[in-house]
Amino acid sequence: MVVVPRRLFQPPWEFREAALFTAVAVFAGFAFQYAASGQGVALPHLPFNAIALALFAVFVLSVGLGFKNNPMVKWFGGIPLGLCLIFAIALLSLIGGVVPQEAIKPGSLSALLGINQIFSSWPFALAILLFLANLGLSLSWKLVPFKLKNLQFILFHAGFWIALSCAIFGTPDLQRLVMKVDEGQESNLGYSMESETPQKLPFSVFLHNFSLEEYPPQLFLYDPQSGQPLEELTKTTTLVHKGVKASWKNVDVEVLDFLPYALPGKNGVPEPADHKAGISFAKVKISSGSAQREEWITTGSPMVDTKDAQVGALYLGIRAGTPKAFRSEVTVHDDNGQQTMATLEVNHPINFTDWKLYQMGYDQKAGRWSQFSLIELIRDPWLPAVYLGFFMIMAGNILFFWNGIKRTEGAS
Amino acid sequence: MIVNFTTVAIVAMVCWALGTLLSILARRTPALKIPAFVLSLGGSLFMAAFIAFYWSILDRPPLRTLGETRLWYAALIPLVGFLVEYRWKIEWLKYYCMALAAFFLCINLLHPEVFDKTLMPALQSPWFIPHVIVYLVGYVLLAASSVTALHNVYLQLRHKGNDNGESVSHYLALLGFVLLSFGLIFGALWAKEAWGHYWTWDPKETWAFLSWLAYLGYLHAWRYKIDRSKLQWYLALSFVVLLVCWFGVNYLPSAANSVHTYSQS
Repeated sequence: MVVVPRRLFQPPWEFREAALFTAVAVFAGFAFQYAASGQGVALPHLPFNAIALALFAVFVLSVGLGFKNNPMVKWFGGIPLGLCLIFAIALLSLIGGVVPQEAIKPGSLSALLGINQIFSSWPFALAILLFLANLGLSLSWKLVPFKLKNLQFILFHAGFWIALSCAIFGTPDLQRLVMKVDEGQESNLGYSMESETPQKLPFSVFLHNFSLEEYPPQLFLYDPQSGQPLEELTKTTTLVHKGVKASWKNVDVEVLDFLPYALPGKNGVPEPADHKAGISFAKVKISSGSAQREEWITTGSPMVDTKDAQVGALYLGIRAGTPKAFRSEVTVHDDNGQQTMATLEVNHPINFTDWKLYQMGYDQKAGRWSQFSLIELIRDPWLPAVYLGFFMIMAGNILFFWNGIKRTEGAS
Repeated sequence: MIVNFTTVAIVAMVCWALGTLLSILARRTPALKIPAFVLSLGGSLFMAAFIAFYWSILDRPPLRTLGETRLWYAALIPLVGFLVEYRWKIEWLKYYCMALAAFFLCINLLHPEVFDKTLMPALQSPWFIPHVIVYLVGYVLLAASSVTALHNVYLQLRHKGNDNGESVSHYLALLGFVLLSFGLIFGALWAKEAWGHYWTWDPKETWAFLSWLAYLGYLHAWRYKIDRSKLQWYLALSFVVLLVCWFGVNYLPSAANSVHTYSQS
């Protein structure tokens, strides 16, 4: 039997047609982007985006179910096109993973093609939309008639469809604002990245207290010319506590005493002080060659000068440790009389009505003495839908894992 | 600290080397099989004990820097080799796995990291351990899958049939993909708690998504019955994307804006 190679566009369509179609779509996307002078896709807000998404879903499902046996529809919902679209999305993501995604000079070729904001560009949106259509068609064929053995397929693919579509269509409704509140003050204004005029929020935040905990200070020997610290012989960094020893070439140091919170006292000897005002002091014994001496050194603060010890041409110092935790004690309340007292901390946001409040930052120059706290306020009405998708993907994956194991057992 | 690591690393590598030698000799003298296995496993157990010890003196899980994650790979990769030998009666994978583990330890010996107890607030979360461990195990399985695929390619080039090898690389990739999906979603759920949004196209996220797409593509190509022997090339190369995601990201121009760079400069 002689096998005649299938010509391009001769049915049934397969990979070559899918690759060509995908390439044309991506190219058209870049052309759109260029024609729109680099303006990305602008999606509508609720409820219009939800309506558009629902119509799209109904359209895809009805085409899938109504034209199940049409060869074109079959090809459109098939694996060859799906694979080509996955490849296109991967390629566009690759651009986003290599080229920094940030504002650049408008009018340059990258800006006109949307290379610097690829994830809101036309080619990306088009690839995602076609991918959702492809995924939706394949899903419709497994959904109706429903069979239990298709459950894993349905959970994974429907979960991915829901998470991806809701994350993308819901983007315009995501609100991210930053609020700066001073200690003992109240605010109801949030700033967005895009504009300098603040937005009035439906609630106010009162900051009772901001506090920051630090790791113990670090001990280091540095060259004042370069400002660079020298590497310790053990190639480690030493956190200061009483009794700790550290060694560099020709220099040995032992911490004889450590006061985490103290203030300068008489005769150069520091006196313990309270947590709020005090700074770290260490009494160090420095041995260099045959010489040996003891000295108090300190991290310093906005109020007290730093004091280092001179060791020949080098200096020995301690610097305030990196932040271990920072938190804001706040009261949040709205006009309807709803009120919550809470402590905000990184990784511990709080919910208030349909907003989520996050500890974001503080005055980094002042560190522990920061007089204000930066709180991020986020509202994302599409979040439950995206999470539903996530959980469906995970459920589908557990079944996939289970079936995969079972099949291997059957095969061997 | 580092002195201890050097000793443990050398002991582990000696265990793997002797284990390899004995198991090659065991082809002729079956009595050597058990000591060979005990020695090879011993290497991983030494590493596991070192990780436990390191964890206790750090007061935090040693999962923050790349060097710390390499310790876990070194302990876990040989275990996949042993499991595959037990499950599929395929012997050669464990040699590759032990060599890979020794390679990771050598990187750590050549570039000792600064011993640092601090853990930034964003990483102090119950999500930290599940997110990183799921990814670690996923990467380990995919590394093994990629090594198997490379071996399959080598056998193909020598025109040897190898159905069993192709099913091993496939199932390792399948398990690895499941874990990648969990790692990705755990990461998204954690990001929502720590940074406010579940997805921000941070370079590390983008590359994690890319690696996930690469294996998603593989599974669909496999399903569509594309020539399995050609897919071995694909599997072998997919791991390159993972490697970029794992430590290549830090060197890319896009990394300047990343919130995911925890290693010291």
